[in-house]
Amino acid sequence: MPQKTLLKVSNIDVFHGSFQALWDVSLIVKSGEIVALIGANASGKSTLLNAISGLVHPAKGSIEFEGKNISALDPFQIVTIGISQIPEGRRIFPNMTVLDNLIIGSYNRKARSKREQNLKMVYELFPILKERKNQLAKTLSGGEQQMLALGRGLMSDPKLLLLDEMSLGLAPIVLNDLYKALREIREKGITILFVEQNVRRSLEEADRAYIMEVGRVVLSGDVAELREEEEVKKAYFGV
Amino acid sequence: MEVLAGLSTPIVMGILLGGLYTLIALGLSLVFGVMKVINVAHGDLVVFGSYLAFAAMTMLGIDPVLSLVMGIPLLFAIGFGVQRFLLNRAFAVSLDAALLVCFGISIIFQNFCQIIWTPFSRGLRPPYALESFSVGVVHIPLVYLLDFVAALVVMLFLREFLRRTYLGKAINAASQDRGAAHLMGINTGRVYAFAFAIAMTFAAIAGVFLGLTYPFTPTSGVAFLIIAFGVVIVGGLGSILGTFIGGMVFGLAQTLGGYFLGAVAQMLVAYILVFVILAVRPQGIFGR
Amino acid sequence: MKITIPRLRGGLTPLIAVIVVLALFPIIGVPQAWLLYLFLFFIYLALANMWNLLAGYSGLICLCPAAFVGLAGYTVAISTWVGLPFYLGIIAGAIAAAAFALLISFPVFRLRGIYFAIGTLVLPEVLKAWFLLWRPVGGVMVGRGAGYAVKGVAGVSLVEWYWVALVIGIASIFLMRIILSSKLGLGLAAIRDNDNTAASSGIDVFRLKLYSFVIGAFIMGIAGAVFYTYSGYIEPLSAFSIRWLLVALLATVIGGEGIEGGPIIGTAIVVILHFLLARYAGISLLIQGALLVIIMLLAPQGIVGYIQKTRAYRPLLKLVTGR
Repeated sequence: MPQKTLLKVSNIDVFHGSFQALWDVSLIVKSGEIVALIGANASGKSTLLNAISGLVHPAKGSIEFEGKNISALDPFQIVTIGISQIPEGRRIFPNMTVLDNLIIGSYNRKARSKREQNLKMVYELFPILKERKNQLAKTLSGGEQQMLALGRGLMSDPKLLLLDEMSLGLAPIVLNDLYKALREIREKGITILFVEQNVRRSLEEADRAYIMEVGRVVLSGDVAELREEEEVKKAYFGV
Repeated sequence: MEVLAGLSTPIVMGILLGGLYTLIALGLSLVFGVMKVINVAHGDLVVFGSYLAFAAMTMLGIDPVLSLVMGIPLLFAIGFGVQRFLLNRAFAVSLDAALLVCFGISIIFQNFCQIIWTPFSRGLRPPYALESFSVGVVHIPLVYLLDFVAALVVMLFLREFLRRTYLGKAINAASQDRGAAHLMGINTGRVYAFAFAIAMTFAAIAGVFLGLTYPFTPTSGVAFLIIAFGVVIVGGLGSILGTFIGGMVFGLAQTLGGYFLGAVAQMLVAYILVFVILAVRPQGIFGR
Repeated sequence: MKITIPRLRGGLTPLIAVIVVLALFPIIGVPQAWLLYLFLFFIYLALANMWNLLAGYSGLICLCPAAFVGLAGYTVAISTWVGLPFYLGIIAGAIAAAAFALLISFPVFRLRGIYFAIGTLVLPEVLKAWFLLWRPVGGVMVGRGAGYAVKGVAGVSLVEWYWVALVIGIASIFLMRIILSSKLGLGLAAIRDNDNTAASSGIDVFRLKLYSFVIGAFIMGIAGAVFYTYSGYIEPLSAFSIRWLLVALLATVIGGEGIEGGPIIGTAIVVILHFLLARYAGISLLIQGALLVIIMLLAPQGIVGYIQKTRAYRPLLKLVTGR
């Protein structure tokens, strides 16, 4: 069954002041996929996510979601149409309870009516959040905070989930749980685009991947193909 | 025992007066906590609220507290407009620019009141303003008790609002991490406007009770800004309870200062207290 | 601290010419009303230049000009009551203002940003409350206020006061030039950009800010002392009024904060505004407040700043500011 294109980024340039962070970047995410965006520090991965989320706007090119151009929208509008970003560093609200963090996730109009339903789903995915629901978010461990960030993102009832460096500072065991959760999230029909520095793990979890260097996409394709690519093997696996 | 009996009135009055100062400071605290800027026009806006109630009383014969039915929506709208059209834009320039814009607004309101109501000292004096009552040896004007009750009511409202409503949580979130709040689908520009508007309704309420408690002139605002600032600093950012305690600290400072040093020294005591607090512990006692 | 006298390029001749013309105004028969406004212009110019020094160059958004002005004014007034001639009183006033600044700097400089601003806002209010209570000379006054007449100034004419103010105003311009070209100026430029970076480059941030603060207070003191000596009467509500801050602030902001020529243009506009609105005393301040808001939102870099961005006016700018 052919998958429809959910997100289409076409040839965008993004500047931070006079510094060009993204050069002619294109990317496609199809409905139901898990896509990885891989690259080292300062390769432009976060900038790309921020452009999709509307926190920065492309100087050239376009970003389309479900066929509609979203490049000029404000960040809060982009959440409403179904794109939710889990930012780098989690950025949960430290002085609010776990439950309040989740509730604020459902702030946008569309998500409010489905709040209880989504809350139940989040508790099923991450039972620890239910346990700690009245604790202040800053008292949670790193892994729990990441779960909270994920849960909070899910509360906005997204069609597309953007994850920025989920694995930063987390132990492998915790990561396994998180990736398992991602797979379950995909089962529920939510598409995922995640940014990672850890190449090997990314290629294990994703369907397709894009590799970025210094603001450009240098490689892309199905992960099976990419694993075989000579350049990838040399650059990232040292073979 | 004589001394204690003599002191008991100023102590009780100081605590009750703390209610007035809490009322005045709550609006300032809300704006400071959310937008990280001290609205230097706050005192003048509170006094503007006093003048609105005065106008309602003298022109329409309405009781000041009842006049809040009109005063609150009016100040809410003014606050919303100021934040949305002036301050949001000023923030985009710089934090200092926002400070100066607030200062400009302060001058505007001061002189607006002066033009319309002249520099004459005014007061809100409905019949009950002159009543007082006694509890044992303590003899208190009724308005002080009203100040205290009003403060409790407003604090309760604010706490429940921040806890239970989406907008309240959004305000809380935006004050902790603006960027993350964006990613939750929160329109922070509009949330800020609402926060400021709510702060202005508190100013309207504070204005009414200020007018019932003290006489006021168009330039009274600065004095109350300074006290409100002191209250906010003592209480620390983000703490309603802290603001309440700060209010009582200043209420007591004034009444005890007046008791020991005479009525004229009251403001001086408060100012010096603010200065001392700034010098010693600007981050407050309760703040995060 | 070494002060280097800068080489004044290009604009020196036109500047001298302007000064000479201004000095000759009373002699060539310029009407008294004009002289009065020019008197005010030069007083305000000194205030604006100093406020610019503090806020635009030293990163000190100081809301207490009224404290310096009023304190100096009171010093002059009170000293004439204890027998000092007024010209010595003026010096005493400036010294009093500078000493106050020195004293207050210790608690106040520990504060950053908004805390500093509010801290300085409190000062004039404290002084106002204090002087409403304290009458060191002249006995008890009936009713409110602690006003003092300034004694022994009857013999001095407006023309002479005009020249005094002219000297003060022009001196403030030269003073700015000297400071900004000196080591102090360099240090201030670093501090304005970033306090912490400057500190880690070995700049004694506290000391430099202190110099600015005290110098600013001294000059504002002179201006205030001269103003009140000319007025002949001082009382707390006017001496410590927020108007002093508003004048200095508005003039600096309209002209361009952190720009040397800014206060000149700004003060001119403020004085013209005062002149135009003289009949509408109440609305005058309201309009100035509105003007402040508008300038901050539309042209935060001020008129001179705005002109500096449009390169076509470069030659005109050279003429005006001598740079």
